[in-house]
This record gives sequence, C-alpha cells and structure tokens, in this order.
Amino acid sequence: MLTGGLALSAKEIRMEYRDRQTRQELVAIEKMDLDIPEGQFVTIVGPSGCGKSTFAKIVNGLLPATHGTIEVRKAANGRDHAMVFQDSSLFPWYSVLSNVAYGLVCQGVSKKEANERAMPLIRLVGLDGFEQKYPYQLSGGMQQRANLARALTVDPELLIMDEPFAALDAQTRELMQAELLRIWSTSKKTVLFITHQIDEAIFLSDRVVVMSARPGRIIADIAIDLPRPRELRVKRTPEFVAYEEKIWNLISIQLTSVGGRTGEAA
Amino acid sequence: MAVISSSSVAGRQHPPIRPRRLSGRIPERLLFGVIGFVGVLVLWEISVRLGLLKSSLISSPTGVIAAAITDFGNGAIQPHIGTSFLEWLVGFAAALVIAIPLGFALGSFRRAEFVVDPLLAALYATPTVALVPLIILLFGVGIQSKFAVVFLEAWVTLTVSTINGVQAADKRWLDIAQSFRASKWLTFRSVTVPSSIPFIITGIRIAAGRALVGVVVAEFIASNVGLGFYISVNGSFLNASRVMLGILLIGGFGIFVGEIIRRIERRFEAWRPAIN
Repeated sequence: MLTGGLALSAKEIRMEYRDRQTRQELVAIEKMDLDIPEGQFVTIVGPSGCGKSTFAKIVNGLLPATHGTIEVRKAANGRDHAMVFQDSSLFPWYSVLSNVAYGLVCQGVSKKEANERAMPLIRLVGLDGFEQKYPYQLSGGMQQRANLARALTVDPELLIMDEPFAALDAQTRELMQAELLRIWSTSKKTVLFITHQIDEAIFLSDRVVVMSARPGRIIADIAIDLPRPRELRVKRTPEFVAYEEKIWNLISIQLTSVGGRTGEAA
Repeated sequence: MAVISSSSVAGRQHPPIRPRRLSGRIPERLLFGVIGFVGVLVLWEISVRLGLLKSSLISSPTGVIAAAITDFGNGAIQPHIGTSFLEWLVGFAAALVIAIPLGFALGSFRRAEFVVDPLLAALYATPTVALVPLIILLFGVGIQSKFAVVFLEAWVTLTVSTINGVQAADKRWLDIAQSFRASKWLTFRSVTVPSSIPFIITGIRIAAGRALVGVVVAEFIASNVGLGFYISVNGSFLNASRVMLGILLIGGFGIFVGEIIRRIERRFEAWRPAIN
C-alpha cells in the first residue's frame, strides 16, 4: 500500500532484454527508485536510449520489469493511471470524439455516455468543433491535444506522458507546453513526463529527474523552484538558465562518457 | 499489400487529394480511360478494314456489335450471362462469408495459423484448374461444381490477406488498447478489424477477379450453359464475333465489379486520405 500521499512508488526497477539480432543481454535500466507525491509534476530527462520511455511503459504496465515493484495509488473512481503516447497515436479510423471516449469505452461505459463524458475534456484541450474530424484532418499539435484529452477522460490518478511533444515543431511545442500547464492547473493530476528536452522539463516540472546513459539510472533529482503559474517568458530568466546549465552539464558528461555514441536512437 | 498498410498506418498523413477534373464534370481518370478503350476499338476496326487482321479470326467491333444485336435480340445469350453471374455470385459470396472470419480466427491464434499455413500455401500454389476433375467427381457436372470451383479460386487469397491484415496491426495501437485495458474483444473490434480493412479489401479485389477466372475455367471444362461455354462452343464453330462478345462481356463485368469494390473501399475508409 502507498502511504504518505504518494501517487507513484517505483522501487529497484531493473530492465533487461535480449537483443534479437546480437542475442546479447542488454540492461536498459540498471536500478531506479522513484517516489512521486500526489499532485506533483515530475519529468525524467536523459540522453537518447537511456531507458526513460521504457520506464514509462513499465509504469503503464505495457512492459514487465525484470526486477522491482511499481505501486500506483488506487483511484477512487477513475483509473489509476493513463498514458499520453508519442505522436500520431490516435486511432486513424476513429473521429476525435471516439478517440477521446476510447478509454471510457474500455472501462465498459456505454458509447453514448462515453461520448457525453468526453465532450468536456475536448473543450478543455481546446478542440471543440473538431470532435467529428478524423486525426489526419488535424495538425500535429491538435492531435496531441486529443491524445491528452483521451488520457484525461479516464480521470487517472497518475498521468504518464511519453515524449508527447517530440514530433512537434518548435513553436507548436512551446505553445503546447503552456497549454499543458494551463490544463494541469485545472486538473492537478500527478504527472510523470518523459522528454529529452531540458527546457521543456524545467518549464513544466516541480522536479526534474536526470537519468544516465544506458544502462539507465537516476543521477540527479532536482527540485525546480520557479513560481507558478509559469509563462513562457520564464524561460529567459537567469534562474531558468541556471537550471538548464546544471542539467545540461549532467547530461553532457553522460554523452561524452559513452564515446560519442550520442547519435544512436533509443 | 504491405505498401498499402504502411502508407495508411505510419505515413505522414495528407489531406485527401481530389482528382483533377477537366471541363468541370468528367474526372481525368475516366476520360483518359475511355479514350484508351475507344482508341483500341477504332484501331481494331481499321486494321480489319485494311486487311491487316483477319475478321474471320478476331472479328471486328462492328462484327461484335452485330453478334450482340442478334444474340440479345433473340434472347440466346441471356441464360449464359445469368448462369455465369449466379455461379460467380454464389461462389464469391461463400468465399467472403467463410474466408474472412476464418482469416480473423487464424490471424488471431498463431498456433492455428502455423498449422494451416503450409496447407494454404499448397492450395494457393496449386492451379484450381488441376482440381476441376476432382471437383466434378465430387459435385457432378451441374452448377454445384461451378460454385465449388469459383469458391476455391477466391477463398485462399481472401483468407491469406485477412491473416496478413490481422498480423499487421500496428504494435503502437495494440499498446494503446492495452494501456487503457481494453478487453480482448474490444481490442479486436477497435484495433484489429479496422487496421486489417485495407488488406481485406485488397484481398476482395483479387478474389473477385480469381472468382471470375473460376467461372470461365469451370465452364470450359464441363458445362452446357454460361459465358465460358458460349465462348468455347462458338470458338469451335469458328464464330469469332461471338467469342469476342463473350470475352468483352466477362471483361466488362470484371471492370464493373472492380469499380464497385473501389466505391466500397472509399466508403470504408473515410479516415484514410485518398492515395492516387
């Protein structure tokens, strides 16, 4: 059981897998302990391939960890956790409305009721008027708004966001960061956010957890002491830049330590 | 098939491309298609008139039209058309009803697919013509054996393409269903079925053509009615105009069915931007 107002407690998570081609045992995550108190916005940053997305999938239950335990606070009504996936993860054969209502339909809610309950979330993310459109008719930013609404519809205790803005252009990404904070401030969910963008991590979070290069482990856990509500211009303040430098230094040591293999994909 | 799926699944998605239209009404595709078709007819007629081709061997467009007027006029050809159409329809419909659910079942249960896969591959590789004598032994020379041949021509393709569609369901979408804890049945309905539709429609398109081959082959081998019979019997009487008429009717029917399938495809895939 989780105590002390924790929304997530991950203990000694270790992830090994066998590379299909080389048949080598690889360690994706060496050891990770992470506690997230209720209502906190925590971001994991780390170099490509450090296992941060893998960790999100373990928390989401999509991958079984080799060792360790995950505890997520049990929700009173809604789901305990829900995931916002990377880009273009909406079902292309469903309208925006059906996509957003999907999580509820999965819980056995009738189609009609699910659609009714999805509408306020569609409005919250600013997609009203687009509910009958298909994903291909939306821009990348709008697709990720729908993606966020889909996760919020099930009213999760913990919202897991796996690089949701990675495929967006720089301006849209900034806009979406501000939008996410606006939406978060109305729902006050606990958020586990995964990104490789340092400024995105600082701007959004109460805490930034920095991971090492593979095999992944936590090398720093930094509280972000910037006042909320935050606006995009906070990114130009000296405090923000100091955080950026600190985290960048931590990550750049990781990059040089693996001998320039930084171009590798995750 | 893989090409179709990857463009619908993973590709960056573009707004639908409208076919360009000439003169506001006729789509270019249709216009040029008709030009090509009429061009060949004109060339054919001219070649026969100039004596480059022998009309006794390949007839001529006017000869075919004359044959059509005679045989439609006295009602001689209608029973052949009706019988062939019935054979095609029953055999093809049976293939649809049996092969698609079978494909979903085999695609969903890997071990079952492992068991059946070599059998399907063998059946697919065997020309159905080779099976016709066996089918006639089993079903007789009547219309039942024609249904069977048409069904056999059509069903393997359909089953295989449905299996492919099921197995091509993108991991990303299965992950989403799992993440929201969709039941097996809901995952099937919300991910497996929609993502296999492009494969199934490709299968239907191919199967419809193969079914038509089945009609003609079965009628060639043993029958006393049907367009295949009409073609073969008129061939042996050296009546080139009627042979050509039969061929054109079958070809025209093939085009007609293809167009219907194209329309169904569009309706099914409002979500998929048109790829031209």
